[in-house]
Amino acid sequence: MSEKELQEFLHVCKVYKAFGEGDSRQEVLRGMDFTVRKGEFCVLLGPSGSGKSTLLNIIGGIDNADDGYISIAGDKLRDMDEKTLTRYRRKHLGYVFQLYNLIPNLNVKENIEVGAYLSDSPLDIDELLNTLGLWDHRYKLPNQLSGGQQQRTSIGRAIVKNPDILLCDEPTGALDYNTSKEILKLIEDVNQKYGNTVIMVTHNSAIQEMADHVIKLRDGVVRKNILNDNKISATELDW
Amino acid sequence: MRNPINKRIIRDLAKEWKRYAVLSLLMSFMIGTVSGMLVANGSMLKAFDDSYDKYMLEDGHIELKEEASEDLLAKMPDNITLYEQFYKEVSEVSDGNDSAMVRVFKIREDLNIACVIKGRLPEGKGEIAIDRMHADNNGINIGDMITVNGKDLEVVGFIALPDYSTLFKKNSDIMFNAIDFDVALMTEDAWDDLPGSIKYQYAFRYITSPGSVYEEKDWGDELIEKVAVICATGGYTDNKDEAEQLADNVDEWTAYLESVSSQADELEVRGEELEERSALLEANYDKVLAGDPEWLAESASLQEDIDALQSDADALAAEQDKIDETIDKLEELEPYEDNTNEVTDFIPAYANQAIQFAPEDFGSDVAMMQVLVYVFVAVLAFVFAITTQNTIVREAAVIGTLRATGYTRGELIRYYMLMPVIVTLLSAVLGNVLGYTVFKDTVVGMYYNSYSLPAYETVWNAEAFVNTTLIPLVLVLIINLIVVAGKMRLSPLKFLRRDLSTSRRKKAVRLPRLKFFSRFRLRILLQNIGSYIVLFFGIAFVMLLLSFSIGLPETLSHYKNIMTQDLISEYQYILKDYKDKDENIITTDTESAEEFSMVNLETIDGVHVGEGITVYGIEDDSRYIKSELPEDGVLISSAYAAKFMLREGDTITLKEKYSDKTYTFEVKGVYTYMGSLAVFMRNEDFNKCFDLDEGSFTGFFSSVAIEDIDEELIYTVITREDIMALSIQIDHSMGNYMDYISFACLIIGIFVIYLLTKIIIEKNAASISMVKVLGYENKEINSLYINLTTGVVIVLAVVTSLLSVSGLTAIFAVIMYSMSGWFEVYVSFISILKMIGILLASYFIVSFFDIMRIKKIPLSDALKNVE
Repeated sequence: MSEKELQEFLHVCKVYKAFGEGDSRQEVLRGMDFTVRKGEFCVLLGPSGSGKSTLLNIIGGIDNADDGYISIAGDKLRDMDEKTLTRYRRKHLGYVFQLYNLIPNLNVKENIEVGAYLSDSPLDIDELLNTLGLWDHRYKLPNQLSGGQQQRTSIGRAIVKNPDILLCDEPTGALDYNTSKEILKLIEDVNQKYGNTVIMVTHNSAIQEMADHVIKLRDGVVRKNILNDNKISATELDW
Repeated sequence: MRNPINKRIIRDLAKEWKRYAVLSLLMSFMIGTVSGMLVANGSMLKAFDDSYDKYMLEDGHIELKEEASEDLLAKMPDNITLYEQFYKEVSEVSDGNDSAMVRVFKIREDLNIACVIKGRLPEGKGEIAIDRMHADNNGINIGDMITVNGKDLEVVGFIALPDYSTLFKKNSDIMFNAIDFDVALMTEDAWDDLPGSIKYQYAFRYITSPGSVYEEKDWGDELIEKVAVICATGGYTDNKDEAEQLADNVDEWTAYLESVSSQADELEVRGEELEERSALLEANYDKVLAGDPEWLAESASLQEDIDALQSDADALAAEQDKIDETIDKLEELEPYEDNTNEVTDFIPAYANQAIQFAPEDFGSDVAMMQVLVYVFVAVLAFVFAITTQNTIVREAAVIGTLRATGYTRGELIRYYMLMPVIVTLLSAVLGNVLGYTVFKDTVVGMYYNSYSLPAYETVWNAEAFVNTTLIPLVLVLIINLIVVAGKMRLSPLKFLRRDLSTSRRKKAVRLPRLKFFSRFRLRILLQNIGSYIVLFFGIAFVMLLLSFSIGLPETLSHYKNIMTQDLISEYQYILKDYKDKDENIITTDTESAEEFSMVNLETIDGVHVGEGITVYGIEDDSRYIKSELPEDGVLISSAYAAKFMLREGDTITLKEKYSDKTYTFEVKGVYTYMGSLAVFMRNEDFNKCFDLDEGSFTGFFSSVAIEDIDEELIYTVITREDIMALSIQIDHSMGNYMDYISFACLIIGIFVIYLLTKIIIEKNAASISMVKVLGYENKEINSLYINLTTGVVIVLAVVTSLLSVSGLTAIFAVIMYSMSGWFEVYVSFISILKMIGILLASYFIVSFFDIMRIKKIPLSDALKNVE
């Protein structure tokens, strides 16, 4: 990958998106445009309705832009048919949602295996379980876990296939302060250890301090695009 | 790496074992039933086919008036081997039973060999082996003593004779009779000692088997013609024309010798007369000498007569060579004359009801069961599909996440299809195990209850595999694929948002101004419309089974009533010919007797080609056919009109059974008679139409038994019992079967309704929990959910009961189209109520469990599932 490609690993190019028709038509994204470097921890920050989740879904290839495009390592998502897109997600993307969406009758280890199955060279599951702090809980079913443990499991499921990009949609939205910090630390560790590009959507402005790159959104446009040279560790965050 | 999601399957099975156990049991039960029927039929047919060589089944038999001489037997056609199969038809009396008729044979060693079902073959004089079926029907056990034509004999074995797999006493009988008729074997010595007249039956096998049924028919026709000629000519020829020529020659020769003989007699008489006249003339010779003119004239006349006599005598003497020659010719025929015999019966195997009835009956009811299985598997497949659909809705977010992380649609479709496929496969395996064991034994037991069948071996049946495993599996696959793939078409985002509605409508349907509870119920109904539609199909299926089990016996009993009312006459005597041997027209003094003619033709078009139609020739002003017969057309029976959808003015064309000759009639009206498919015409027209002698007829209708016609002249007598026998037999053999199906319906009904209402309650668990949280009492919740379902079930029960009767009528008509005869389904109002009653009874049992289930839904569900 050339320096330019590393610099413009992910390019969100003039992306437009609207929902509804006629009077109820609402423009959610209005020419969103920015780039993300490979291995960067990028936070999309904005209030509710700013279009950040929609943008994340378009980046993840599960929603389409009305105009503009997303390119990842030079490949434009809009040029991909559904099969290619699925293959793309399978190979390159990991998803973490606010709700953990674990499979209820698979235990922790098996839920992580569900992610590992998609990769030809997955990470070592036992090692990952240790990294996630889930080794002692590996045989528990989701309903026997706390919210934080469930979110760890869902992060494990997302990163076990060692994706190029980890997309996190409000991963701490349903968690308490301490657990949220634990999860953010875990994502930070994963980013540093495995070098994945992390794009995290949040409305919690405190989180921006741990990011390499902060993109502030409002009313469907980028209000600020900040490269953070003074990022701090997740453990130091406070809100 | 195997897809880790599949690890869920075992856990899902364990968690929902009750649901899957019920589904699997129902499917296994249905699959097992059909598999059992197919395997039993296949195995029995195989046993039948094998019995041709194993027990050396005959190709037919001939009965002669007397024992055939060696010379005659030597002259029999060379394409057959004849086997002596003499029997004595005598009375059989066993403890507690009415006297029966038994046909006793010597132990057969070469042909129609007995299959010993139990015990052994007789070895001594006081022993007999009897038919197993007859023994069962009359409660005769091995070791029992029976009296056969006055002789006490010990029953040492139960047998099945391959030429009597169905106990038909006469081939012309309408129904078999295993109660009053028996076949038995004795040792040769014992048989010789048994009093009773001998019937000289000879069974035969073709040296090389005919290639087809048609060839067999042709061979049979040719054979009987030849054998009849051989017997009639004492073996002189097997050629009919030659035999006729010979008969003409013999007549001619006999006539010639008779004429010569009468000429000689006449010459002798004339000679004696002349001698008397000569003596008288000699006594009065003096008068001749005296010139008495009277005596002179007498003298001259006498001389003339003597000359004439001499001349005639010389002429006769000149014939001597011819006479000697003629006598020689007749003397040459004398040895043949000693061998002459008469064929009294000939039945080729293909036309022998005792051989053909059972195998033709095998499998006649499988087609209907197969259709029922497909319908049922389709219903269960929908139950699966609805269950899977609900699971997909419940797991929407997980599916969305998996799809977002790169799981393909195919992987998820395959996963959600796995459970129905596994359960269907397990059910098919279990069903087939049951089919090859329990159910097969049940079906075979039913056949053994009706027929004298040889021992059989269970054989692998490919048709059963296709019908009970492949087709159900494909049905389940297709139905579930349509539903699952349809759902999986939605985008990952829709799954993540739990927005799984495939319709574009977003707004709720506006409901009329009703009370709150009514509107609530309507909402539940609309929300669960898919489940209620499947419930409709489930209930419709159960109803169809119920209509079958309740409607069919009622139809049969209705048919019996119709037959009783409709009977043309109490007795129909069919004569071998309308004249006796002396060419005298057969008459009777029985007052109620009325001549009629009858011929059997068959259809060449319409719903059933080849259907036998009885054409009656009726006397004018008949007291049995109470309708005026048209002069330029025919009446047809209402059964014929109904089956072939014929009306006045239509034209029908019928053909002779074994020739291409056709007859066309114009329908001038319909005569109310459901007893058979028949055509009625004036007897005069009948004789013209069929080119018969004027005034000829086939037999007599009579309301009382005719006792003044020699039995030898009667071909068969059809009585009320004979006509009823068919329906009585079907009724008898189906009786237990129908009770069993009614009970099975109740069980299937309970399970189907259980599964479907379970789905509805599970789908609404969160809402039920929520209304509980809001403070609704169980009673109120039941009134919302249970009362709604109760109402729906009642409506569906009524609707489907009517639909199922229509369905049964249609199915039955289609079945009757492929069979001979006609009767329509009859289901009374009471029976419809009974069907609804059974269905509702099933439902109320289930609703008890539903109430318990609603009671058990925890309040926490409402909160847990909000996510």
